[in-house]
Parts: sequence; structure tokens; C-alpha cells
Amino acid sequence: MCSYHEQDRASMGKRVALELDLVKGFRFFDPHVHMVSRTTDDYQAMADAGVVGLIEPAFWVGQPRTGIDTFRDYYSSLVGWERFRASQFGIRHFCTIGLNSREANNEALAEQVMELLPFFIYKEGVVGVGEIGFDDQTAAEEKYYRLQLELAKEAALPVQVHTPHRDKTKGTSRSIAIALEHGLDPGMVIIDHNTEETVKEVLDKGFWAAFTIYPFTKMGNERMVQIVKEYGGERIMVNSAADWGISDPLAVPKTAALMVKHSIPRETIEQVCFKNGIAAFGQSGQLDELMFEEKIQIDQAQKFAGNSVLRGGQQPRRDAGSIIIS
Amino acid sequence: MEVALQLGQALKPYLTEKEWQWLSGQVHQIAVDPRPQLVAKIFTAMPRHLRSIDKTAAVSMEEPLAGPSGLRLPVKGWPVVRVARAWTLTGIPAQDRSAYISLIERLFQYGEMEELVALYAALPLYHYPEAWQARCTEGVRSNIGPVRQAVMLHNPYPSRFLEEGAWNQLVLKAFFTDEYIPDIIGVRERNNPRLAQALVDYAYERHAAKREIDPMLWVLVTEFLDERAFGLMKRVFSATQSVSERKAISYAFKNSAFGPAVEFFGITPLMQELAEDKGMPWEGWVLNINDNKNYGN
Repeated sequence: MCSYHEQDRASMGKRVALELDLVKGFRFFDPHVHMVSRTTDDYQAMADAGVVGLIEPAFWVGQPRTGIDTFRDYYSSLVGWERFRASQFGIRHFCTIGLNSREANNEALAEQVMELLPFFIYKEGVVGVGEIGFDDQTAAEEKYYRLQLELAKEAALPVQVHTPHRDKTKGTSRSIAIALEHGLDPGMVIIDHNTEETVKEVLDKGFWAAFTIYPFTKMGNERMVQIVKEYGGERIMVNSAADWGISDPLAVPKTAALMVKHSIPRETIEQVCFKNGIAAFGQSGQLDELMFEEKIQIDQAQKFAGNSVLRGGQQPRRDAGSIIIS
Repeated sequence: MEVALQLGQALKPYLTEKEWQWLSGQVHQIAVDPRPQLVAKIFTAMPRHLRSIDKTAAVSMEEPLAGPSGLRLPVKGWPVVRVARAWTLTGIPAQDRSAYISLIERLFQYGEMEELVALYAALPLYHYPEAWQARCTEGVRSNIGPVRQAVMLHNPYPSRFLEEGAWNQLVLKAFFTDEYIPDIIGVRERNNPRLAQALVDYAYERHAAKREIDPMLWVLVTEFLDERAFGLMKRVFSATQSVSERKAISYAFKNSAFGPAVEFFGITPLMQELAEDKGMPWEGWVLNINDNKNYGN
């Protein structure tokens, strides 16, 4: 049975009531969130909270895949079905494509995945190679990390680097060193899942530092506020990395609200919760801030062309507060 | 005019000189050496190469494109990248049948949303026209709105090549997904009693759920109106708040040969008033049914 330990509760700190009104009128961009694992309610809640765009990095799906076809279908869903699903809620969906570190350890399969990647990384809306890097920090993980860095360089795409949970500080330094060894421009590399221990080196060496607000296992947003107070907003971005685990797709707006409470200037909040993610991954040429000014999404335009459908591609809203379902 | 030439000309004004040179070079290259890797790369990376284009621009062509089977594909309001992709596809030479089919199928298998829209919209333009029936049926099943629309709407392929069961699924799906039914090419000509029956079943279900019914459903039922349809239509006519639904039912009764409907129409002045089809999506519908009886299968 699943139960939460008292220390987990303690680590959650003092409870602060959710006041998303504090960030009313803000726009958010979540540069790391695994929407395939989330429901339409999450999309609705994200849209309501001001999330206008997101990046879904290719990762493992909670258990290892055993064949190449499931990889292909997964990548296809990131550029197909999931993209459409997001658009129904007015959210622009981008993705990064790569072989994740855990599954790099199945070398026979990893070889086939490497052959598959060029079919996907040049596609519209693919804004980087990711998330790649270390998990157990094995030789196989290193091999495929290096190969994919080369691939990203060839395709002139940003890289989204997953840093390991275990032995994080060393794993992060190693990821950075290898990227530099391959001649990548640090400005094209986003190092993800940073902590207080890793952020300094990442920023000092010219990389982007992403922070994942994820309960219990990664950063809490109170710590995030302290980091922004200390380092400012330059080259820092906040994401939720929400997935199939206990995570929070509203982590970005909630963190922004907490920053407002702590009197962090609005420009800084916009930097770390909107602009920086777009700027970093925008180097792919597939994404820019202007896209978020266009009110009507492509699929809606298609629906409207010669068509009398009034909803314009938007999903109807169910009334979650009513006992009646009709 | 040859299709590839037409597409190239339509595209040219939207590209910079450099983009035009690049793309025409690639299309030429494909024509002489259609290697799957090359085709996939050009087709897929198109937005990366055509960076200057206005993403909101909509391309419409005066003349529909004529496919190898004589199907005429209208190009109305396509984004520039879709036109460029269609051009690339029409540049692939017919070559060996199985090589040609597996090349295009591979593009489908790996397609992202916009690529799939282009691939399905171009169904009437492929060589070996009869070979795409299963692919077409698969497109109708797509859960991605724009992809499904690319198969179902403004596309002459399905009405020519789908057998009746698959065709009926297409029309039913269009009703389920709130599409604008007159945009389905061949919907009049391929109408059939089994479809009408399924539509009436669907109407009963919508009625029970107190959901709106698309007036076009009644127009499709006109020709096959029977006791079961008549009962529901009479009820809906008096209960619905939708004027266009009442107009559609009136139109159906007026043009039906089913005795009780003819009779009911005769004694209902309101219906006679509402039966006028001018300006409605079904204007002239009945006349056209008889004109096109021999179309399709």
C-alpha cells in the first residue's frame, strides 16, 4: 500500500493557500512536461492558469519498452496526437526527441532507436534533442549521450539534458564536461533538474539552468524562490516535469504565484516562467514569442475555413462542480 | 496543365528566390532519384527550409488539381507548407508499384500532424489510385481533427474509392465530429439506404439525450424517409428551437415520396412556409441527386 511518511509531510513546509489570482494575466511556458501521462483535466487547468505553451521531452514511460515500434509510435504521438490534444485547449505543444538515459542501457534496442531519430528530429515543432544524459551513469548511457550530442550539433538543435537523481552533482559536472568536449555551444544546452548544488557551475559555464518543481523528489518552489533571489532570472527557467508520478502540472504558475508573494519583480518572473524557455529552445527556429501573440491556432483556422462549427476546435468545458453529467 | 507544374506556380510567389531555388532543386532531384531517405528528409524538414513564409498565408488555386485517376482536388486555403509538400509528393515518379507505395506509406507512418494533413489531402494525386483505400479508411479513424478533415472534407478520393461500408463510416463520423456536411465531396451521390438508416438511429439517440441534431441529417434521410424516420421527424419538428432544423425537416417532407410525409406536409402550412431551400446548405439538393445518380460505384 502506498502511504506518505511524516517526513514527506514535513518537507512540504507550511501550507499556503493556492491563490492563482496573484498571477492573473501572466502567460506561462512549461519547458518540460510529459503530457502523454496527463488527463484532459490537466490541460484545462493549465490553460486556465495561463499556460500557453509547453515542451514535452521524449522520456521513458514508466516501464522499459521492448521494441522499436513502441518507440516510433511514442515519438509519433508526441508530434501528432498529443500536439492536437494540447491545441484543443489553446496550448501550443512542442517536443524534444531523443533516447533517454534509462533505455540507453538496452544497447540492442538503443542502436535501432538511434537509426530512428533522424526521421523525427527535423520535424516541425521539434525544438531540441532531449531529454538525454545520465541516469545510472553507465558506459552505455555515456555512449548514447555522446552520439546524440553529435546528432544535435549536426541538426543545429538545442539539447535538453536530464541530470541523474543519484550522484547528481558529479553527474551534472560530467554531463557539462562531455558537452564541452564535443564542442557544443553552452548557449544551446539546457541542463535540467538543477539544485542549489549544481546551479552555480551550470550558469558559470554559460549553460541554461532549468529547475524542476516536483514534490518530494526534486525541487520545491520555496527553494526555487530563494534561487531566483540569489541568481536573478538570467538563463534560469522553471518547469514541472509532471508525468505519471505524483507531480504537478501547475508547478510553473504556482511557483510564479509564490514569487509574486515574495515580491520578486514581474520581469524576473516572466523571464524564468515564460521567456527563457522560449528563448533557449527558440534557437531551433521552431518556436518564438510571436507565436503566442497569434490568437487563432492553426487547427482552429482549419476548422473555421468553410465550416460552421462554432466551437472552433476548442473542447467543450464540462462542469466539474456539478453532480450532473450530461 | 501538369499537376506538379500547377503546384510549383502557385507556390512561387510565397517563397524567396533562395527558397524557390532550393525547393525546385530538391523536387527535380526527387524526380530523377526518388530515394526514400531523401524524400523523407525534404518532406519532413520543409518548415525548416521555408523560414521566410507567412505562416498565416492561405493558398487557393483557381483550377482544381487533376490526379492520375482524373479526380479533381480543389486547393482552397492551404498553408504554404502544405502546398510545398504536395508539390514534393507529386514530384515522386510512378516507378515500381511496390517501391512507390512503400515510400508514401512510410511518410504516413512517420508523419507529424501537419505532414499527415498534407499526405491525406493529397490522396487524389498519388499514382496507383486504387492502392490507397485502406490508408483512406485509416485516415477517417484518426483522432486528430485536422487530419480527419483532410480526408473527409474537400477531398474527392473517398467518394470514388471507398466501398459502401467505409463510406458510410466516413459520413457518420463527420456527423459525430460536427463537420460541415456539404464539404464532403460526393455526399449527395453516395447517399444510400443503409446510411440513412444509421443516421436515423443516430438521430433517435441524439433526441433521447436532448442534444441538437445537424439539419443536414434530415436532408440525407429525405430520399429514404420511412415510418421510423417520419415518427421522429414529426416530433422534432414541433419540439425543436432550431429554425434550420425545422427548415430541413420541412424540405425533406416536401421532397419525399413517403405517403404520410406528403400528407403531413399538405396539411401543415408552417411547413410549406419553411420548406424554401434558398440560401440553405442543402439548396437544390434533390435536383442534384437525380443529376448524379451514376456517379461513384
